[in-house]
Amino acid sequence: MITVFGAAVWFQGLQMRRVANLSALVNTPLFTLALVAIMVHSGRSDLAPYAVVGATVIAVWNMAIVESGGIIDADRGQGTLEALISTPAPLALVVLGRTVTVTVISLLSLVESVIVARLVFGVVVDVHHGWLFAVTLVLTAVSMAMTASALAGIFVLSRSARTFQNALSYPFYLLSGAVVPAPLLPEWLQPITKVVFLSWSTDLIRDCLRPGAVPNALTRLAVVAGLGLAAMVAGVWVLRRILERVRTTGAVSFA
Amino acid sequence: MIRDNARVLAAAFTSALADLRAIYTWRTWSFAWLSRILAQVAFYAVIGRLLGSAERTQYLLVGNAVFIAALVSLLVCASTAWERQAGTLPLLVAAPTSPFPLFVGRSAQWLLDGTMCASIALFVLSPLFGLPMPMPRALLALPLIALVSWSTYCFGLVLSAFVLRKVEVRNLVSGLSSLTLMLVCGVQVPTTFWPAPFPQLAEVLPLTHGLGAVRDLLSGAPAGVVVGGAALELCVATGWLVVAGLAFRHLAESGRRDGSIEFGD
Repeated sequence: MITVFGAAVWFQGLQMRRVANLSALVNTPLFTLALVAIMVHSGRSDLAPYAVVGATVIAVWNMAIVESGGIIDADRGQGTLEALISTPAPLALVVLGRTVTVTVISLLSLVESVIVARLVFGVVVDVHHGWLFAVTLVLTAVSMAMTASALAGIFVLSRSARTFQNALSYPFYLLSGAVVPAPLLPEWLQPITKVVFLSWSTDLIRDCLRPGAVPNALTRLAVVAGLGLAAMVAGVWVLRRILERVRTTGAVSFA
Repeated sequence: MIRDNARVLAAAFTSALADLRAIYTWRTWSFAWLSRILAQVAFYAVIGRLLGSAERTQYLLVGNAVFIAALVSLLVCASTAWERQAGTLPLLVAAPTSPFPLFVGRSAQWLLDGTMCASIALFVLSPLFGLPMPMPRALLALPLIALVSWSTYCFGLVLSAFVLRKVEVRNLVSGLSSLTLMLVCGVQVPTTFWPAPFPQLAEVLPLTHGLGAVRDLLSGAPAGVVVGGAALELCVATGWLVVAGLAFRHLAESGRRDGSIEFGD
């Protein structure tokens, strides 16, 4: 199992050497500039860290839906899915190994965003609760990798994965409170934000940037992990259904 | 010559519409694509609420709604590259007609898509964010948005001539270009917010004057000011169209000379 997981991580690492697969990281400085500029121009430089968090969430989620979400679809397009599912290695584990790689690489966007905000606008992002911040990032990355694995399976069921990849971008940036916290969204949207793990993550991250105590930190961390796990369970179930179907019909490349 | 080019343009446009029908069903366009567009505009407009400023909310709403026209039109970079991927580029270059009118029409579905999405975003979200839309005057925003689509499309054609040689970076070029326009053309902050030479650069980029004209229109500026902005946007569009024509001619001539039409990077 560890060998399979390690091989999947290594393989995806090789895939990510192509600049076209890193477009979210290339775009991050520009998103950071755009979002921080809005705050600075309005005389609210105190909100610039929100913009830094927002630019990071945009990059991490974008890579999750485009790079991770397209893993199985791309294998199917290249004709390698047949070989992959005929091996004894569990497909879900291979996909998880690959999405973990993408997610870890996508977290570089946080470093990019902090540096750009500092160099261009002199914005300093102070982390007042270092350990909680680190744990939140790790749990967010794990949940993101698990959610991306689920998406990789779900996208295969669609006629055009690209359509759904596009459709899932900004609605999730909005629902995840990437820049604007959920309580400022319309009331009818707020219950939906509760089932989006990123909205819990971004709230925690913003709280870590403030000097005061962070309320209910452990519970909120548990919710982030729980929602990620729920997505993974759903993803494994979807992958099993897909494999059963294509093994029965023989239509691996036309699922 | 003109009749031939018009015929090629019309055939290419028919093909573009077929592409649009292949990409979207009316359900995926309405519920997936349009929803995402509305969410995109709302995502930026709601930052105005975070800032506690109705004026900023409305500025962001108008800027990001009109920006959608530019964003979608820049998909011309990706769809032009499809000709290379489909293996049809050598046939198009070998044809007796110039490839330029063909490529002008070949991705024109994005003009319609961009204009519709941006217009719907502006008119649907305005009441939700408290932006006054004086009628019937506000309806004049529709041709201005179409003009922004056209000028950005012309700009995108120039980029497409480059992308045809480097197909792998088509989405990267399209993404970076749209973000650059978002940054410097007055979408999120006025063009003068940035230091030189960015305000000067914005003057010759698409979107800047068209977006300015829409803002002037909605704020009740005199007709002459709005028309002036639209005229400048049209001049910018024409300039980029000429550059695009030269870029495609260079692509075809140099490709024939060095055999790189099918075997570029």
